[in-house]
Amino acid sequence: MNETNPVPPQIPPQIPPIVAAGDARQLGSDPAERAVIPNVVVAIESILRHPRRVMFQLRQPDAGKLIAMMLLVSVVCSLIYGVVVGTFSGGQQLWIAPVKIAAGLMISALICLPSLYIFTCLSGSQARLVEVCGLLAGLLMLMTILLIGFAPVAWIFSQSTESLAWMGTLHLVFWFIATIFGLRFLETGFSHSNARSHAGFHTWVIIFLLVAVQMTTALRPILGTSDTVLPTEKQFFGTHWADCLKATDNELKSRVRE
Amino acid sequence: MKAPPRQTGTSSISTLLRGELEIIVACTERWNGRRTALHVGVIVLGAGLYGAAMGWWRDPQQALFTAIKFPLIILLTTAGNALLNAMFAPLLGLNIPFRRSFAAILMSFTIAAAILGAFSPVMAFMIWNAPSISPETIQGATYSLVKLANVAVIAFAGTTGNVRLFQLLVRLGGSKAVAFRVLVAWLAGNLFLGSQLSWILRPFIGSPNLPVEFYRATAIHGNFYENVFQTLQQIFND
Repeated sequence: MNETNPVPPQIPPQIPPIVAAGDARQLGSDPAERAVIPNVVVAIESILRHPRRVMFQLRQPDAGKLIAMMLLVSVVCSLIYGVVVGTFSGGQQLWIAPVKIAAGLMISALICLPSLYIFTCLSGSQARLVEVCGLLAGLLMLMTILLIGFAPVAWIFSQSTESLAWMGTLHLVFWFIATIFGLRFLETGFSHSNARSHAGFHTWVIIFLLVAVQMTTALRPILGTSDTVLPTEKQFFGTHWADCLKATDNELKSRVRE
Repeated sequence: MKAPPRQTGTSSISTLLRGELEIIVACTERWNGRRTALHVGVIVLGAGLYGAAMGWWRDPQQALFTAIKFPLIILLTTAGNALLNAMFAPLLGLNIPFRRSFAAILMSFTIAAAILGAFSPVMAFMIWNAPSISPETIQGATYSLVKLANVAVIAFAGTTGNVRLFQLLVRLGGSKAVAFRVLVAWLAGNLFLGSQLSWILRPFIGSPNLPVEFYRATAIHGNFYENVFQTLQQIFND
């Protein structure tokens, strides 16, 4: 009897998962990573010094407690930084600015969470929704902890300048630097979940940055003062920033004339 | 082939998004009412939320109308072309039964609707920040930006759904050429019917110069392709 050679089905080649360079060990391979994170102080220390421990714990069944701790730290740190922001104008901004910054950050994350989960799945990642929530909470916690680090510098500049545009730019730069570190944590966590491509993640980063920046315009004023807590006119952030720069330029010109 | 593993709703949709072909192929092997109901539910919810975000710019009532119309177009296109698509498949070399072709197309729309639903908060935030729709804003950059954003998101959702559908067809038929032929035939049929359904059920964003309606009084007077032809005639005659 002749043996038949059946044509094998065309299976596309499996693309190996991307892992962060220099750290190809599996999460949990180090016993220190398997130690449970019991409280907020340990969570803060872990995300700064042992982020892999946080990523491993987010995969455990009781990750909800850790996620809640990270969100609590994010809210508290953003409220504290908000007070520093509010010292520029003083008065009611001392409570309005912290509330806007904390609320704006949480709402921005909530808006972008579904698309993060979609991009995670499309990349082939095996991360569950809880783990994705946890990585996003980790981004927020790391971002806001770093903002606390920038707070003394921001306060000193707040007390020594009257330029709204200058202080706005400074706060944005601090926020951007803090966000980069937060996104690095998120991307590393993403890599360890068997993602085959980072293209979706990078697209999501752009969406997140745009939403967060637009949120600062939607909740204006945060630095300055206004008759109303929220703006009465809707604007995209590009238009708002152009208006602010124009106003600053006019102010400088009138000072020079004087 | 062994039965697909039991999955929760979220993990079932995640499986589709990840393109885990072994499980997806097993799911199309047998009819499962619960899975079909889940997919229809995702289409209604995902496309509905996105439609609401689109229509909100004109009026909250337009948001409700578009939330109903957007999933309706997807479901009517799937159902209207079901028999035709089932016949195209074997004729073009992919010998699969009706339930498999229907399940495959429904899955691709489920993926697209899940993506649209995930982007609906971002779109809603964008609309919330945009100046109110008016005869002035329709002429300006804001309207163009909103239109472009909608096109980008819908194109991304549709492309992803079709990429996963193509991967499934390759696995079912064992040939990229056959899968491509079948996909093009299905796409052509769905686009043809879908365009006309969209024309009948317009508007989706709405115009500030016209009242908010579920569909226009001229909905079934003329069709999408007649309108395109007349527009081309105007361009070349001017």
